Amino acid sequence: MELGASVTENIIIAGDSAFIHDNSYGQLVSCACKGILFEEHRNVIENNPAFKDIDKDVLKAAYSGIVTLVIEAAKHDSTAENLSTFLEDCKYTVDRISTFNKIFLSQKSHIQLLLGKVGSSFPHIVDVEWRLDYYIKSNNLEKIDSAVYLINLKTEEPDEQTIKDIQFSCTLEQLQDLVGKLKDATKCMEKIAQV
Amino acid sequence: MLLIFEDAQKEHLSFLTNLDADVLREFGRISLNFIKKGANTKIFQGAAQKLKVSVETIQHGVEGLMYLLIESSKHMLNDIDFQDSIMALGFTEDTRSTLLEIYLENRKEIRDVLDEMSLDLPHYHNLEWRLDVQLASRSLRHQVTPTILLKLQTEDGGKKVSHMLQTDPVNMVHMARVLEEALQEMKSSYCRRIARNIK
Repeated sequence: MELGASVTENIIIAGDSAFIHDNSYGQLVSCACKGILFEEHRNVIENNPAFKDIDKDVLKAAYSGIVTLVIEAAKHDSTAENLSTFLEDCKYTVDRISTFNKIFLSQKSHIQLLLGKVGSSFPHIVDVEWRLDYYIKSNNLEKIDSAVYLINLKTEEPDEQTIKDIQFSCTLEQLQDLVGKLKDATKCMEKIAQV
Repeated sequence: MLLIFEDAQKEHLSFLTNLDADVLREFGRISLNFIKKGANTKIFQGAAQKLKVSVETIQHGVEGLMYLLIESSKHMLNDIDFQDSIMALGFTEDTRSTLLEIYLENRKEIRDVLDEMSLDLPHYHNLEWRLDVQLASRSLRHQVTPTILLKLQTEDGGKKVSHMLQTDPVNMVHMARVLEEALQEMKSSYCRRIARNIK
């Protein structure tokens, strides 16, 4: 994990008891995790009575330092040992290091889940609906008498609130082909999972 | 079920009653080509000269035959209904059986042409899949996220459209299971009974 000079400076400010008191420090780390995890808490430090004695600029710098540290540590899946080494270099006390580790490590997996969702991907299939029709005749052709399936794939896309549909029809043979291929893929997946 | 002809159509078809089996077959071949590829009126001229009749007579003969073949195929007439339908048009028994042969030989192809012209929904064409494991992204390193990439090809009005999709193992298993159930449904006694009764 490599952080820029200004970020490191902010992290040092957060660890310095001259700027952030011991009793506010734990709150600050918790708020940083909360701010990352919940969109409605992004601004959680503003007007927070826990930080009313701290200078606004200092608080802002410290908060941004901790938020960056938490995100970077989650991104690189840092362990308690990695973090301790890093924070020791930032002149953190043993107490502050263990407070950070305790709060961060308990939230790490949630933050990683969130980070995993960031990025681009193809429409992700989340469900499938089907309908079975019996095609009897049309204006051009009588006595058709064949099964027709209407398939609707429900897909989700990153950064899109709505679920989109992909609709198409299949004859019985075509659906057999489709299911055969899906089962092939499933089997291949299960085989690899057992290794 | 029997076909009903209008007077004009009867007249058009009556020209065919005097033709040799070979010539009739040639007319059958031309009609089929027209059904498959659209009319080509240039042929009429040559045929008219050969048979020493007017171009219109040839054109009407071909059109009448096309109508006969299309309508019989549309209704999926059986041998007997087909023969009975043309019984009143004055064909000899030999000509009738030649026409029946032409009809039966080409019924499937004509039905395919009619089917292509019918209301068409985007339909399944092909599926390709690939199993990937995502190892890292800009925002998260050290991942092991299995993903299945799917390329679904559908066809709509002769045009193929590709959809790139992906899914995770849980949804993949779910999708395979749900569609397998859909397949089984057609074999259920309920669906089989309905299908049987409609035929």
